[in-house]
Amino acid sequence: MRGNSWMTVAAILTITISLFLCTFFWLIIANLNANANKVEEDVRVMAYLDFDLTQRDYRNIETQIKFISGVKNVEFVSKDQGLESLEGRFNDSNLLATLGGKNPLPDSFSITAAGADDVKPIYDAVKKIDGIYEATYGAGTVERLFALTDTLRQAGLAVMILLCVAAVVLIALSIRLTILARKKEIMVMKWCGATDAFVRWPFFLEGMMLGVLGALLALGLEMLLYSQAAAYISATVSFVQILPLSQVWGSATVFTLGAGLLLGAIGSVIPLARFLKV
Amino acid sequence: MLIQTVNLGKVYKNGIAALADINLTIDFGEFIFLTGASGAGKSTLIRLLFREELPTAGQVLIGGRSVVRLTTPEIVRLRRNSGVVFQDFRLMESCSVFDNVAFALKAVERPWNEIKMRVPAMLERVGLAGREHENVMHLSGGEQQRVAVARAIINNPLILFADEPTGDLDPKTSDELIHLFADINAEGTTLVMATHDKDIVERMQRRVITLERGRMIGDTVGGWQL
Ligand SMILES: Nc1ncnc2c1ncn2[C@@H]1O[C@H](COP(=O)(O)OP(=O)(O)OP(=O)(O)O)[C@@H](O)[C@H]1O
Ligand SMILES: [Mg+2]
Repeated sequence: MRGNSWMTVAAILTITISLFLCTFFWLIIANLNANANKVEEDVRVMAYLDFDLTQRDYRNIETQIKFISGVKNVEFVSKDQGLESLEGRFNDSNLLATLGGKNPLPDSFSITAAGADDVKPIYDAVKKIDGIYEATYGAGTVERLFALTDTLRQAGLAVMILLCVAAVVLIALSIRLTILARKKEIMVMKWCGATDAFVRWPFFLEGMMLGVLGALLALGLEMLLYSQAAAYISATVSFVQILPLSQVWGSATVFTLGAGLLLGAIGSVIPLARFLKV
Repeated sequence: MLIQTVNLGKVYKNGIAALADINLTIDFGEFIFLTGASGAGKSTLIRLLFREELPTAGQVLIGGRSVVRLTTPEIVRLRRNSGVVFQDFRLMESCSVFDNVAFALKAVERPWNEIKMRVPAMLERVGLAGREHENVMHLSGGEQQRVAVARAIINNPLILFADEPTGDLDPKTSDELIHLFADINAEGTTLVMATHDKDIVERMQRRVITLERGRMIGDTVGGWQL
């Protein structure tokens, strides 16, 4: 039993680490998806104006923009409003002071497109208008975000598979020790006419116990870290939308416990197969 | 016909030819002694008959079907209908007498209240009444042997294989065990018993199969052959 308990601890910790990282990746991906979706919904083009324009120029440019096909709404955003919204994004109510008391932002038009497909043509057209110094839209962000999610998802998947295999191997090794200690019992049981299922279930239970213990540890760690990280990120960069813990913990629990049970079950079936062939 | 062997042979993995050309038929209700010198192959034959080992030549047929071809559920059914007393007992060292006997009932998923009733009754039959809670390793060799017998017969097997079940018993206890075997045989259990005990074989006057260096040299009803 002494040799066995080390193995048991090792198995549980491997499950904890594996499931912790699996859930971690899964949470990152869920958050990236949520942000990507949010940005995708954003069909705005921002047109920043040159600094030396007259009121007339402003009206002229606004009219030109309104005539671009696909434009639904044009709204003037003064440089002061721009600063305010920036202050909101960075949670810094004294940005102006930080910037040396001078607002460096240009005035701008916030253009809302009728649909996501209109954004790029509007952007192209707006850039050509005289007096427009710079235009931006969210599409690049969306694409970058999706690309990042994809890469993360693939890397995450590879790591997850590796870690899960490691967890299964450790569970299997741990259960194998229990099996070896009870080898004679298993054989006599089978000679007495026990079915494979009957012989299997205690080991199955043991494997799933290991899995669940590891999963609970991983889940505890995960929740603790997540709420900390979420609070920190929300406080620093507020335009990144972090899914609230209440929204993820349900599926995270199901995911982690389910994976723990599954890994435990697989880990117990593998080493037993050989001993059932009596 | 319950069991039949056809040109049955066994060569162990280390190359030792333990049995060759065994042809025998065992009928329902028989009481068979398996005799022969040490190393003659008695235990090997028993292992082949209850499918602990598989033949390397010929066949063991149970109900006309080769044991090699049995499906998993059929093997389970076969084992639920046979009992084995191993030459080395194979008891659970750290368990009580009760648990060792109850083991056979638990393995076939009998309910607990039935186990509670049947185990003490069985222990009484093998002369171990009241010894339920002793650790099986604190028992004498002969007592352990009777625990092994109790475990083998508690499921009322159709056929009982006993490998030298009287090996560690004094004449009186050994007599009692043989009476018990005669009783369960009269109740319908077929019995195959490997033994070195000339007295018992002479006294019982049953069918005697004699092995010598892995071959069958005698199959008669009556006394000791060697
Ligand atoms: N598992 C095994 N692996 C290899 N050889 C074995 C094995 N079991 C038995 N043998 C060999 O097979 C031969 C027959 O052995 P077996 O145990 O069947 O004899 P036995 O008649 O039961 O003897 P005993 O009266 O001493 O119990 C012996 O030579 C033995 O060494
Ligand atoms: Mg033997």
